[in-house]
Amino acid sequence: MAIVATQSKLGKIVWPVLAWTVALLFFFPIFWMILTSFKTDADAVKPEFLFRFTPTLENYTNMTDNYDYWRFATNSIITSVSATLFTLFVAVPCAYAMAFNPSRGTKDILMWMLSTKMLPAAAVLYPMIFLTKSLGIYDTKFLIVMVLSLINLPIAIWMLFTYFKDIPKDIIEAGQMDGLTTWGEVKEILVPLAWGGIASTALLIFIFCWNEAYWTVRLTTTEAATLSKLIEGNRAPEGLFFGRLSAVSTAAVGPIIVLGWFSQKQLVQGLTFGAVK
Amino acid sequence: MANRTIPRLLQTPAVVLLLFWMLIPLGMTLFFSFIRYVLNNLRNPHWTSPSIENWRGFGNYQFVWGQDSFWLAMKNSLVIVTSILFLTVILGVLIAVLINRSFKGRGIVRVLLISPFFVMPAVNGVLWINMILDPVLGLQGIAVGAINDLQNAPLVGWFFSLWPTLEPISFRATQTSSIAVIMMVVWQWTPFAILIFMTSLQSEDQQQKEAAVLDGASTWSQFRFLTLPHLGRPIAIVVMIQAIFHLSLYAEIEIVSRGNGNKNLPYYIGELVNNNIGAASAAGIFAVILANIVAIFLLRMVGKTLME
Repeated sequence: MAIVATQSKLGKIVWPVLAWTVALLFFFPIFWMILTSFKTDADAVKPEFLFRFTPTLENYTNMTDNYDYWRFATNSIITSVSATLFTLFVAVPCAYAMAFNPSRGTKDILMWMLSTKMLPAAAVLYPMIFLTKSLGIYDTKFLIVMVLSLINLPIAIWMLFTYFKDIPKDIIEAGQMDGLTTWGEVKEILVPLAWGGIASTALLIFIFCWNEAYWTVRLTTTEAATLSKLIEGNRAPEGLFFGRLSAVSTAAVGPIIVLGWFSQKQLVQGLTFGAVK
Repeated sequence: MANRTIPRLLQTPAVVLLLFWMLIPLGMTLFFSFIRYVLNNLRNPHWTSPSIENWRGFGNYQFVWGQDSFWLAMKNSLVIVTSILFLTVILGVLIAVLINRSFKGRGIVRVLLISPFFVMPAVNGVLWINMILDPVLGLQGIAVGAINDLQNAPLVGWFFSLWPTLEPISFRATQTSSIAVIMMVVWQWTPFAILIFMTSLQSEDQQQKEAAVLDGASTWSQFRFLTLPHLGRPIAIVVMIQAIFHLSLYAEIEIVSRGNGNKNLPYYIGELVNNNIGAASAAGIFAVILANIVAIFLLRMVGKTLME
């Protein structure tokens, strides 16, 4: 734990107060969204009801009627979960091979994979629309799952690679001595040892899938539309629907924020590819 | 022999998928960027489908290059990304140093601070531009109204009437919408910077710091000569990861800038895609070139530290 060696009496009060103020300021927009979600649409824009108002749940109970929330939420859940699973299915073997049997090209392949993340999505927007429409998969959940998997694959491989790298090679070699097949090694040794790393990779990829807002908006219309598409479609309510819009927004981000709280420690290692621990 | 084949086999699906993902759409963009390809064109119906017969050479590139809105979008992209990087790193370092001490409720402070990072971009945009920044009905409008009302307050009203009446700012206008976008993204990504800097600060050499204190080093010089150099690598990583995400920033721009002239590169391309595919593709190739310049620069800077 980092504790500054000498703290003056004044510092003992000033710094914590400052830290709390900053934290509350950062959280305020989320707090405001949650608060507004309990106001009626009419109350939400009236200055006299800023903090004192009669709380109501109607925005949440009417969410299905107002926005067809569950249709979009179901799409978000199905596509995010499937994409996370598919990403892991492809990424785990790849990262395993790279970490335990690195060849001279491994470094370059890893760097190349990361560089695909830098390819601007907008540059290939029309070809994607063209291809998916001619293949008849435009606006399908299958397409969204594939796209979400592909854009997250490099990050998943990098994260898993940094976790696997820390596992002593001797253990795997011992497994080979005992006559385990490759599949056996993965199942009996790798997965139990790297379970924490795999789980936090899955969590982070899931969060990224859930929040994705380029392809899910541009490659869907109705059938596969996710929560990002729903919110984006209601971008300008002109003050008429602040209450109900806050409710649907809260419902869309709430579960992910809570998931995020649990993953914050793994997030650092994962997102910095193990360079900051 | 088997030693080498199986690892290769395991990597193949990932490599092949990414290769397809990169090469096929990008190859098509490259092809479209050299032909006349316009979706709605009654006079030249043969331009509405892609064909090698409609070869245009570098014409689309010249067209895009000559457009003011392209340069505006290019400028906006760079201004937005650099401002975000600059602000998040500075705020991130300051706040990380601020909470890197023991005090009551530090765990809760951490949880509150990290939360914005998990808000989906679409919600971020809608929440800020409506509920917070709206000049009439949002918090901004209400706050400005309340401050102006102080002029009529008893006792202190004379003091406030010395000041000019405040005008709320419309953040949906062309001139101001970049500022709104920067605000939103900085709010969302500063927590990410804080989290990484804070983790790194916890591995800072405390003995060195104590020695510095004994030698009479001021708080500022401790920060300048010990903490800041220690943060060098995390800062480089935060810059790289954010650059990856913000060059393709879309949802916030789409929500704030719909209907005004403030575009970034992805949004500009998104508009061209509605009709002029040739030009959209040429602009896309320019975006790829820009991203590559940034990527080479960043990967050089950070790549080595990542592989260690």
